[in-house]
Amino acid sequence: MEAALPISAAVNPAKRPAKTVVAAAPSISLPLRFVVTGLVALLTGVGWLVAQPSLLTTYHYNQNIVALTHLLVLGWIGSVVMGAMYQLVPVALETKLYSERLAKWQFAFHLAGFVGMVWMFKTWNMKQVGHFGCVLAIGVGLFVYNLGRTLLRVRKWKVVATAMAASLGWFSLTVLAGLSIAAGKSTYESLDGVAVTGGFRPLLDGLRALGALMAHFDSLSAMHAHAHLGVVGLFTMLIVGVSYKLVPMFTLSEVQSQRRAKLSLLLLNAGLLGAFISIALHSPWKFGFALMVCTALGIYGWEIAAIVRARERATLDCGLRSFLTASGMLGPLCVLGLVLAWPRLPLNVFTGQLENLYGFLGLLGFVTFAILGMLHKIIPFLVWYHSYSPQVGRAQVPTLAELYSERLQVAGYWSWLAGLVTTSAGILLQNEIVARFGAAALATTLGLFALNFGKMFSHVFRPKLKPLASPVAK
Amino acid sequence: METATIELDARGFEPPQPLMKTLEALGTLPEGATLRLHTRWRPALLYAELAKRGFAGESEEQSDGSCLTYIRRS
Repeated sequence: MEAALPISAAVNPAKRPAKTVVAAAPSISLPLRFVVTGLVALLTGVGWLVAQPSLLTTYHYNQNIVALTHLLVLGWIGSVVMGAMYQLVPVALETKLYSERLAKWQFAFHLAGFVGMVWMFKTWNMKQVGHFGCVLAIGVGLFVYNLGRTLLRVRKWKVVATAMAASLGWFSLTVLAGLSIAAGKSTYESLDGVAVTGGFRPLLDGLRALGALMAHFDSLSAMHAHAHLGVVGLFTMLIVGVSYKLVPMFTLSEVQSQRRAKLSLLLLNAGLLGAFISIALHSPWKFGFALMVCTALGIYGWEIAAIVRARERATLDCGLRSFLTASGMLGPLCVLGLVLAWPRLPLNVFTGQLENLYGFLGLLGFVTFAILGMLHKIIPFLVWYHSYSPQVGRAQVPTLAELYSERLQVAGYWSWLAGLVTTSAGILLQNEIVARFGAAALATTLGLFALNFGKMFSHVFRPKLKPLASPVAK
Repeated sequence: METATIELDARGFEPPQPLMKTLEALGTLPEGATLRLHTRWRPALLYAELAKRGFAGESEEQSDGSCLTYIRRS
């Protein structure tokens, strides 16, 4: 209890505002089911890389790497992003989630959809990928509707809400693009001799027309355009937007320039739209739009550096350091992206490996590292809030730092960095042994994270409370 | 009628410390007094906890982006 709670001058109640905003986070079980699913998917994905490092040391257009990528983007990153948004949107935007029940239904569609998709990608059954993709898309529709209705309740439309709304739009487009690619790779001859009636006839005709449209696009270009929509439009957009709220919150600082923050989002959206179209059309304009996206990320980095420099909190904890290191990864990623967008870039084995490195660093070096950093902040807070906030003032409760081991966090930070560097070397050298060592270091981090996760969760099942100290008579 | 007001400035603390310090302060808040809480942001998660403990809060955003919340027994 703070010693200084001075009794000040009286306040005139008539002058008090009557603006009470009731914001409520959903129950802890909602975000956690997404986070746990995500972590299981990440562990499976990294384990897959340890078992089969050739996925990274050979060109990426094959069924296994497409399956692994969808395991990571839908199973890991997608799940965690959804769970985090259900938790953060109401708190960050000071409102209530539109429907917790819809979110629980969405989880079921999401789980069935992505597991089926990954399995069917692995066997390269594109028709079934499309069918499981539709199951996933129903979930995405529920997610976008639920959060869209939640965003409509926001009173003040700030930069964070704009980023979240934009990410929902890009997410919907990513799913539509993915389903279109699957339709383009599917054939429906088996139904030719079958009497297809009722509502199925227009559906079948529509799928065939979509397939014919997709035939105009080069397969690889369509896949790369779809991937950029998801990774830049959903994940990067969200990380950029949420940073403008969470980094000041955890460093005790402020956004230093709202204009810079808005400009970064504007350029990111405009650049992504142009990049998506130009990549899909295999147009040389993609370099210009890639430059626009990189400029947006440069402005973002500038603003984050300014926020961190202006902080009141002297030391940065491991979660924040992970997040900031991940943001730093945007530098090499932008350089790689510009090189790969160069219109006269020769297509050879080395540039193919550069594409692998770009995808690897994008998903595991930037997005995953940033998410792991933020999870180090968010999960202890969720657990603390659930287990201890009702007890504050009634019993002695542990501090946030007492819920986890910082030594495990620091060890995990360094093993992840070592894993990124070693795996990157393995990719460039096309050396499976080096790539396997790198993937093993990444897996080590996940093991350490799991240990810390267990330590935090022990507080949910067995809260560690002590009686309040009795006042000592003087 | 004017009421006694207790000041709590929690702007220099990282979450969840502002919440902790506020709930601890409410435990010793005299009958009829108001807790004037100054936070860096609107204390979004505080209101539900206040309601459970028989308090009500009204918040006002300041020009510098910080927030003043007046908490009284409901």
